Amino acid sequence: MQREAAEIREEWLGRALSTLPADRPAAEAAVSGLYSLIGLAPPRFHWVSSPVAALTTVPPGMRPRPSETVERLSEWPLPPRLSSLMRQLCRELDAQVRWVHQGMDRMIRHEVRSSLSRSTDGSLFMSLRAAHDPQLVMRTGWYDTQCASWVAHYDALRRTAGVFFAPEQTRQFELWATVARSCGWWWPREDVCVISERPVAVHTEVFGDSGEVRLHHADGPAMRYADGWDVHAWHGTRVPAWVITDPDVRRISREANVEVRRCAIEHIGWSSYIDQAGLRLVASAPDPGNPGSELRLYDMRAETKVLLAVNGSVERDGHRRRYGLTVPGFFDDPIAAAGWTYGLPAEQYALLARRT
Amino acid sequence: MTVTLASLSQQTGLAVLDHLEQSVTIPVVDGLQAQGDLIVIPLSVIASSIRIWSDTKWTDVPPEGVELLRSEAGGNPHTLVADPGTCRWATNVADSDRLAIGVFTTSAVAYLLHPEHGATGCTPGTYVIRRQREQEGRRARLVAD
Repeated sequence: MQREAAEIREEWLGRALSTLPADRPAAEAAVSGLYSLIGLAPPRFHWVSSPVAALTTVPPGMRPRPSETVERLSEWPLPPRLSSLMRQLCRELDAQVRWVHQGMDRMIRHEVRSSLSRSTDGSLFMSLRAAHDPQLVMRTGWYDTQCASWVAHYDALRRTAGVFFAPEQTRQFELWATVARSCGWWWPREDVCVISERPVAVHTEVFGDSGEVRLHHADGPAMRYADGWDVHAWHGTRVPAWVITDPDVRRISREANVEVRRCAIEHIGWSSYIDQAGLRLVASAPDPGNPGSELRLYDMRAETKVLLAVNGSVERDGHRRRYGLTVPGFFDDPIAAAGWTYGLPAEQYALLARRT
Repeated sequence: MTVTLASLSQQTGLAVLDHLEQSVTIPVVDGLQAQGDLIVIPLSVIASSIRIWSDTKWTDVPPEGVELLRSEAGGNPHTLVADPGTCRWATNVADSDRLAIGVFTTSAVAYLLHPEHGATGCTPGTYVIRRQREQEGRRARLVAD
């Protein structure tokens, strides 16, 4: 059962992060179906190449009402109506889960829904937060309504636990599922619906126990759209392009954000960074438990020093990897600094018998 | 029986990188030892910082081991391995430095196994397992390599 749920999760993850061109006829038909369920005629469709294009351009021939500018997305009339349609469907389906399926429901919530929700948060939502006011993305529930995670949850309940869907419920569910697998983000106004194409490239890495992924690409943008708009990310942290394309000590020293600095330094490698930045060596000492290796403490910036340590085990090429750990600036003894990283005073860390 | 990386890997079903020496007896250490971003500290060394609640639930370490911590990229777990019935572990411990992820007590040699760091043995005793931290300016974070 768990394997089946994981397969369904992977199917939906593939759809959510798909880089194929949108299936425009399918998406338009499904969105029109949802409009009709809230009593509206099908809108005119305006397709754009990326979320940023959707947010910065106005559909041709449209005079946006002040209440329907993107900055006021949380006040638009349609998203809450569509979201409450979706929530009503979920409540009905939840009622059908009943006690016979409750164990399955818990497993699917964990294996499928939470996992996909974390994966989309670390990828598609990241690009949205890059394009949009991040606060707005959080405040409006509209983007959560479009998230594939809830669709996958009920799809898995239907397919693995045999939860019964009434014909009307199936019809509405299929509309949401079709939109989720056919196009990118969409923005519904009364007369026109703007829909974004999907990205043309997505690079992720797995980071969680239930197959969660996050954006990461060391050689270029982690997500790119056909119009050239892109997002760079280092192990799930969104970073300016220079961190990936041209990490450089001068830029690092000017960067105010500590996470961005850390990503850039990791990309360069701690040893090279210390060399290139010309950091002053404060002190060095033999590494307890790691014969032949030294702990080296360098001045980094105000209130911070960096401890350059050596791995206890060898890499495939026979080298031992060096890595940097930032420590409070008041240390001048490398052993005390190393002990602090594990919450130990110098005299206890000095007792370290072995490091692997 | 001689315990090697190969025999631990077989017992737990956990793969280790093939460039690590597979057939050498794993050293058994009495005292503090570190494996990457984890450290194993005899409880007596830091007893004043640690509180183990009296209602703490101790769990037997199964033959396939207990996963202690995973790297940030998802793989490469640090795993505690012991012969059945010899080692128990608990996570409900209070640490004044907030770095402890658990405590284990073992009546035979217990091993820490990691795909990249290899393995190391701990003599019988009670140990606290702590994570590693770093700090830049006022911003602290836990290391996850």
